[in-house]
Amino acid sequence: MRRNHQIPLGAIVKGLALTAGHFFRNMRIHVAHLFGRRLQEKGMVTFQYPEERRPFSPRLRTRHRLTMRADGSPRCVACMMCETICPANCIYITAGEHPDPHIEKQPLKFDIDLGVCVFCGFCVEVCPEDAIRMDTGILEFAAYSRQEMILTMDKLLMKEGAQEPDRALMKENA
Amino acid sequence: MTEIVITMGKIAFVLFCVFNLLYVLLWLERKQSAVMQDRIGANRADIFGLRAWGLFHPIADAIKMICKEDFMPAAADKFVYTAAPFLAVFFSLVGFAVIPFGDTLTLGGHTIHLQIADLNVGLLYVFAMLSLGVYGFILAGWASNNNFAFLGGMRAGSQMISYEITMGATVMGLVILFQTLSLNQMVQAQGEYFFGFIPKWGVLLQPLGFLLFLIAGIAETKRIPFDLPEGESEIIGYFVEYSGMKFGMFMMTDFIETILLSAMLTTLFFGGWQIPYLHADGFHLGGLRLAINPVLVSFLQVAAFGLKVFCFCWLLLLIRWTLPRFRYDQLMALGWKFMLPLSLLNLAITGLVVLL
Amino acid sequence: MPKITIDDKEISVEGGTNIIAAAQRLGIEVPHYCYHPGLSVAGACRMCLVEIEKMPKLQTGCSTLATEGMVIKTIAHSAKAKAAVQGVLELTLINHPLDCPVCDQAGECGLQDYYMKYGLYNSRMRDAKVKKEKKASALGPHVMLDQERCILCSRCVRFTHEITKTNEIGIFNRGDHSYIDVVNGRSLENNYSGNVVDICPVGALTDRDFRFQCRVWYLQESDSICPGCSTGCNIKIHFNVRRRHIAGGRRVQRLKPRFNEAVNQWWMCDEGRYAYPSIDENRITTPSARLAAAHQRMDWRDAIDQMALALREALAAYGPESVGVIASPQLTNEDLYLIKKLFVDVLGIAAVDYRMPPNRSAKNDDFLLRADRNPNTLGAHLIGLSPFGKEISTPRILEAAAGGRLQVLYVFSTDLVAVYGEAPIANMAAHVPLMIYQGTNHNRTSTLAHLVLPAAIYAEKNGTFTNYAGRVQHLKPAFAPLAEAMPDWKILCKLAQALGHDFRYADEEAIFEELANSQPAFAGITYAGIGSHGWPIEKERVLSFVTA
Repeated sequence: MRRNHQIPLGAIVKGLALTAGHFFRNMRIHVAHLFGRRLQEKGMVTFQYPEERRPFSPRLRTRHRLTMRADGSPRCVACMMCETICPANCIYITAGEHPDPHIEKQPLKFDIDLGVCVFCGFCVEVCPEDAIRMDTGILEFAAYSRQEMILTMDKLLMKEGAQEPDRALMKENA
Repeated sequence: MTEIVITMGKIAFVLFCVFNLLYVLLWLERKQSAVMQDRIGANRADIFGLRAWGLFHPIADAIKMICKEDFMPAAADKFVYTAAPFLAVFFSLVGFAVIPFGDTLTLGGHTIHLQIADLNVGLLYVFAMLSLGVYGFILAGWASNNNFAFLGGMRAGSQMISYEITMGATVMGLVILFQTLSLNQMVQAQGEYFFGFIPKWGVLLQPLGFLLFLIAGIAETKRIPFDLPEGESEIIGYFVEYSGMKFGMFMMTDFIETILLSAMLTTLFFGGWQIPYLHADGFHLGGLRLAINPVLVSFLQVAAFGLKVFCFCWLLLLIRWTLPRFRYDQLMALGWKFMLPLSLLNLAITGLVVLL
Repeated sequence: MPKITIDDKEISVEGGTNIIAAAQRLGIEVPHYCYHPGLSVAGACRMCLVEIEKMPKLQTGCSTLATEGMVIKTIAHSAKAKAAVQGVLELTLINHPLDCPVCDQAGECGLQDYYMKYGLYNSRMRDAKVKKEKKASALGPHVMLDQERCILCSRCVRFTHEITKTNEIGIFNRGDHSYIDVVNGRSLENNYSGNVVDICPVGALTDRDFRFQCRVWYLQESDSICPGCSTGCNIKIHFNVRRRHIAGGRRVQRLKPRFNEAVNQWWMCDEGRYAYPSIDENRITTPSARLAAAHQRMDWRDAIDQMALALREALAAYGPESVGVIASPQLTNEDLYLIKKLFVDVLGIAAVDYRMPPNRSAKNDDFLLRADRNPNTLGAHLIGLSPFGKEISTPRILEAAAGGRLQVLYVFSTDLVAVYGEAPIANMAAHVPLMIYQGTNHNRTSTLAHLVLPAAIYAEKNGTFTNYAGRVQHLKPAFAPLAEAMPDWKILCKLAQALGHDFRYADEEAIFEELANSQPAFAGITYAGIGSHGWPIEKERVLSFVTA
């Protein structure tokens, strides 16, 4: 008879011993924790998000922001390099005249549709003005409607009222 | 009249225990698997901020299932489709009627047998109910009018047949040894000792029988590694068209059967409510004697029964969260080519030993 | 015919041909900024240097004429020329601000293109760039000047000197301090000022109208014919239909002239260039019927049925005299042919005309713009929509309408109110049971009409125009008609079918084929024959029809 009909009984017993071993070891630690003992050991590998967070890698790409000039206006000159390179077509810029003739061009509207964004970071790479970055540390932007997933320029500039960047989690940003 | 009240009280007590254990198992299913896998497990459902290690998740489950849309396929057989989950739950619950969960309790002049019904063919009754239970699944699969559900139902049917034979042949060994089909008498018989001090439990009399019964029993509950009728990753199974509480009842059936199997294993192989050396009047071991209130003895025995059942539930969960699902040919090969011959061999040897 | 060799390829060219033009005919590129085939040679940019055998120094390709036996090596084959061109490019870029991100020229810029091809070196400049006084400033109503980006090629100066002869632009100061500007505080205001933007090889002169509207790499282009006057300048429609958030969703971003030696060379007038907003603005989008004062949107099917019913009843009860049709020279030959076929030939209606009294304020400007602001007047005439010869019958049709003698008046793309004034047309509309306006944009006439039908505008149409000189030119659709609009010929076919006549054409080409077969003036012309540069009908044939 073909051998693949056989049930690997030895392996089954070994497997049960392994899982039972984990069960008892972890239970012992959990019970010890209840009495305030052996707190340096962990009975699980789980991080209790959102109370407990892992530190982000400094290279992690998080929600976008637009950098500002000293006067609080966006550094962006609406050259549309990011809009052009964007593989998801999620950036929508409308350009207009800047009052300062030496700056010339500025974005009147700068929308990013996070519902479409793939977080590739091309927009940051391609920007000639260092006007867009993905270093906010914000990864929680779920919303109840597609409209709410669209970031407008105000939110991207992270002015007052906007969600503050969670820089504590970004280890020394390069 | 008093008899009826007492019986109703016993039924209520058993159902209370079974449903509470069911609740605990739903919680344990999550938490035990988590601890085994170095995780924490569900712990987010809270009542006014009290999380209680995720104990409220089964409540959340129940609320969710009750609130969900009660879907029924347009081409389903409406009556059978609705009746199937009730059948499944019903037949798994009635099995508890003949399980003795204690000896006798004398209260206010009444002697109460701690068993709902002491049938002299209790063992056959349990098997009959388990066999009938499969109708729930086959009918669910058939009434859904869905190929996959039907396939799941058929798998359930063939799996039941294959493993019930092994199960039946296995317990025959015990029947030969104890000379009875009454579960209570079987438990009573397990209160004796080898050489005066080793408890004469079924597992020691029939170690091979215990193993075979355990494996066949898991197959009967249709849980991993024998969950081919469900097989979420292949056919989803007989309940593919079920939603809400109807689906919930199938899930409940699985757990109730787990409890029933644990109770059967306890009763047949681990001395039922027996605590070694504890007798109606107190503690006996060799020359040592310790008198204990008979009511307290009864309580201890019921507690011992509960503890044994719980330990088996834990073991069954351990197995469920360790092993992967068998292939169908493996399942059949295991049942027919491995377990059936072994159980027949077990039966033959037992018969031979008793005869000699 | 001197025979010359460029990069080992031989060619015979006419005497007086310069090396750039000769190389172009061989498909060899000689980079250049200041040379433009439509302007005089300046030799200012030094980009077109080539190596010529037996000449000790490199020569400029623009000013060196081909002579017998010349052996030339261009930048592709001559290391010497390449080194020289790189040097020129380096010099040109010394003070260039490199503000490509904000420059509208980026993407179609000579500096970018040649730098990517011939440059790509590291800058050796250690000194700061010289900044000009002014950043961007307007030179006139249409043109923006950025002196920092200018490479002083002088094309714009030569254009205003030689083509428009208006001399608004000049180069001031010398050397590093040179800059271009308008002379004596004048403004660059002539009807051809937009062309300096086209010829500027860099971003120094940009279009105010197009400023910051759309990056050029988002644009798609399509060949068309300007409908602004009877010259029929060849144009390209630059449009963006992929990124609709740009410029408020407007499809057409700008028009550019397309070279046609026989019609407009490299140029087009500002009047035509900046007329494109009508393609997207104020368009009639759905059929509608006037109920009391307001227009009520309706189905195409209902609109066609209503027209067919009215026409049928009018013809049955009052005869062909009760229907008037005012066609339009804005329509293509194909549309006009179907108007003639349906109304004149099939229904027997005599009151069909397309002509309006001439607008006395519109004049020829001796260059491209003509007094007749319609692209297809000659086409309408040659198709035979001038039933009474030289006499314009439109006033008679309107008179009949005002007198209550018409049951149906069908107006195509003609704003009667603009010609005759509000009161007479309103009075007339009150006396006609059904006035149909079929056109592209809302106007006061469409407001007065009882039934309004949306027609496709020229940028959405496939078809032909016949310009004043008898040149049949092909315009191609850039994109699909807006909303529910349909090409006029399709509407006419549907109407004819509703009237029980079998008008079925696969496309515009099929109509034109029938037109060419039935109208002697168009005999032998095909779409393939028209190509991208048009098909001139012989003068004698045009004249014979005009006089007939």
